[in-house]
Amino acid sequence: MNKIYARRRRVDILVKFLCAGSAAFGLIWLGLILFTLLSNGLGGLRASVFTQMTPPPGAVEGGLANALAGSLIMTLIAVAIGAPLGMLAATYLAEYGKHEKLSAVIRFVNDILLSAPSIIIGLFIYGAVVVPMGGFSALAGSLALAVIAIPIVVRTTEDMLYLVPTPLREASAALGMPRSLVIRRILYRAARTGIITGVLLATARAAGETAPLLFTVLSNQFWSLDLTTAMANLPVTINNFVQSPYAYWKQLAWTGALIITLAVLGLNIGARVLGAERSKT
Amino acid sequence: MNDMSLTAETRAGARPVKFAVNNLNFYYGGARALKNITFDLETNRVTAFIGPSGCGKSTLLRVLNRIYELYPAQRAEGEVLLDGKSILDPSVDVNLLRARVGMVFQKPTPFPMTIHDNIAFGIRLYEKLPKSELDGRIESALRSAALWSEVKDKLNASGLSLSGGQQQRLCIARTVAIKPEVILFDEPCSALDPLSTAKIEELIDELKASYTIAVVTHNMQQAARVSQYTAFMYLGELVEFDVTEKMFMAPKKKQTQDYITGRFG
Amino acid sequence: MNEHIVKSYDEDLQLVGRKIAEMGGIAEQMLNDAMDALSTFDADLAMRTVALDARLDLLQREIEGKCVVTIARRQPMAVDLRHLMAAIHIAADLERVGDMAKNIAKRSMKIVEDPRAPRAIVGLKRMSELASAQLKDVLDAYSRLDLERVAFVWKRDAEIDALEDIVFRDLLTFMMEDPRNISFCTHLLFCSKNIERIGDHATNIAETIHYLATGESMPLDRPKGAGSADGPAIADA
Repeated sequence: MNKIYARRRRVDILVKFLCAGSAAFGLIWLGLILFTLLSNGLGGLRASVFTQMTPPPGAVEGGLANALAGSLIMTLIAVAIGAPLGMLAATYLAEYGKHEKLSAVIRFVNDILLSAPSIIIGLFIYGAVVVPMGGFSALAGSLALAVIAIPIVVRTTEDMLYLVPTPLREASAALGMPRSLVIRRILYRAARTGIITGVLLATARAAGETAPLLFTVLSNQFWSLDLTTAMANLPVTINNFVQSPYAYWKQLAWTGALIITLAVLGLNIGARVLGAERSKT
Repeated sequence: MNDMSLTAETRAGARPVKFAVNNLNFYYGGARALKNITFDLETNRVTAFIGPSGCGKSTLLRVLNRIYELYPAQRAEGEVLLDGKSILDPSVDVNLLRARVGMVFQKPTPFPMTIHDNIAFGIRLYEKLPKSELDGRIESALRSAALWSEVKDKLNASGLSLSGGQQQRLCIARTVAIKPEVILFDEPCSALDPLSTAKIEELIDELKASYTIAVVTHNMQQAARVSQYTAFMYLGELVEFDVTEKMFMAPKKKQTQDYITGRFG
Repeated sequence: MNEHIVKSYDEDLQLVGRKIAEMGGIAEQMLNDAMDALSTFDADLAMRTVALDARLDLLQREIEGKCVVTIARRQPMAVDLRHLMAAIHIAADLERVGDMAKNIAKRSMKIVEDPRAPRAIVGLKRMSELASAQLKDVLDAYSRLDLERVAFVWKRDAEIDALEDIVFRDLLTFMMEDPRNISFCTHLLFCSKNIERIGDHATNIAETIHYLATGESMPLDRPKGAGSADGPAIADA
């Protein structure tokens, strides 16, 4: 009896140690990444980064203003396209087509899309939009980011709608509400913070993607708000600058990486805070 | 018959029939959950449905407002007449039916909005009222659910901020506010403490003056307390349906007797 | 009847049943002993009979208490509730039977001082035998929920009423024959009244058993003997 118990205690301690160790291992890398970004990027973080254009090769001054603006615009357009589409698709999956075979197929495909390498999405948009339109454009980039955002929104919205208790649907229907009204006025409201969290996560993901943009917008040295032409953006700029031999470009790349990481981190934390609020009520 | 044991309410003789159910069968896919159910619900009376879990009592209730139609592969066959008109007919608008036949659920289901809006929402589905009139309706609904005095100073608080018993009464107020003719209660007190339960029971007793009421409950004493008629269901069949006093003092069927005296094995 | 899911519930109900049986036994014995004491002028037996009544009263209280607690704790329904309500009623009836028997025993102690016309007791004896048989039958019917026997007891009470009528006339005759008999006969008259009441309690118990078994009451109009419900035909006297 005691032997068995002593053995169990040892196993218990061992398992605890392994779990804690694995968690620490993962966290160490995250910490290192943040540390590297901060140590390399923080030095270059000054106001001019946000106000000046990306410099030509060899220059020793300049910023990331056009890249920041481009990323912001394209991410916003991507979310503006992707979030409603994703929400509606999720609504079909969770509410209307819950028991249909088609939904199972859509769900499966969506999960594949969720984990598809983003370069493939870039290639797809290249073939579907860039080639027919005859050139790189911010619009194509936005579409590529939207394709990345959609599966995330679908997945989180669907999950959030599932979390709304069935009796609430029944109680709404029992008052004589048509289904669309139940969904719009009751279910969306009940799942609101969860859905917003999903959209924020999708935004964060889209903001940080590089691969799909390489094939769709490329980049632009100059300030441009024209959606039909190439537009500067942060990920591709970082990609280009960091591979260059120029020290100032490298410095800007680190600073851009820091900015993008902080933005994504901020969005994630915001999503978490909202999620925590939701679970409180 | 031992009529002396009956209350004035059940002795007074049959009232007009509100719901007439004839030979009702219900299927979950291929499984038959209700078998040839036949009974009447009398107007302004409380009818309780008792029976072990899975006996079909909730299913039966869910036929009366066709809420089962939210789910595919569930279907009802037979005749269900509300004031003499079939409700299972596909031409009947379910939403209008549900406006006439309200339902209160096991767990309180306040909408994620203010107390005021919880009730206004249902009213606005059917009527466009000026604000003053709407507020009056909300007050009277809350009063008839015995909740007014507890919430009148915080109508703009979230419905979710109320206690369980208050939430359940809010749901009753919400149901009452759209002026139904029948109210179905599906185990309305199973998530509540005894005091809240007593308040709901008192409420049901008051509501029967204006509505026809059906209550599904696991609590036999509750059925005995609130109802004038009781139906005992077992394995999808309506085993016995009688005046409540008779059901609990001298049921005719052995199955009923065994169940209500705690002899079910 | 199947057993309850909760076994201690069965035990509660069985305990009440056993105590009723015990009360029935004591009540029966008290009636028989009281009559023996009366007919054999045995003051000792009469005193022992009087003493038995305390046990009967105690049992009645125990049964009532047990029933009330069981009702409070288990919220019995249907046959169980009827069982407990019946136990309360039957215990009260049996307690009254004990009181009647005690009263007969006390009167037997009084007439020992001035025993007269023993043959006047013969009719009384027949009455009490019948009443005793009624008690025995009704208690048997209780233990087996035997509705046939219940109906039999219920109808047979008319015989006791008829006998009481005869005893009443006999005693009147004795009193008219010799006024010195009046005191003695008056005691016997009260005894006959007591026995008649015991018969009534037996029929009450029969009615209770009928309700217990069926959930329905017996008809209100029970067949009566020659006299009215108020006793022997006084107008004839």
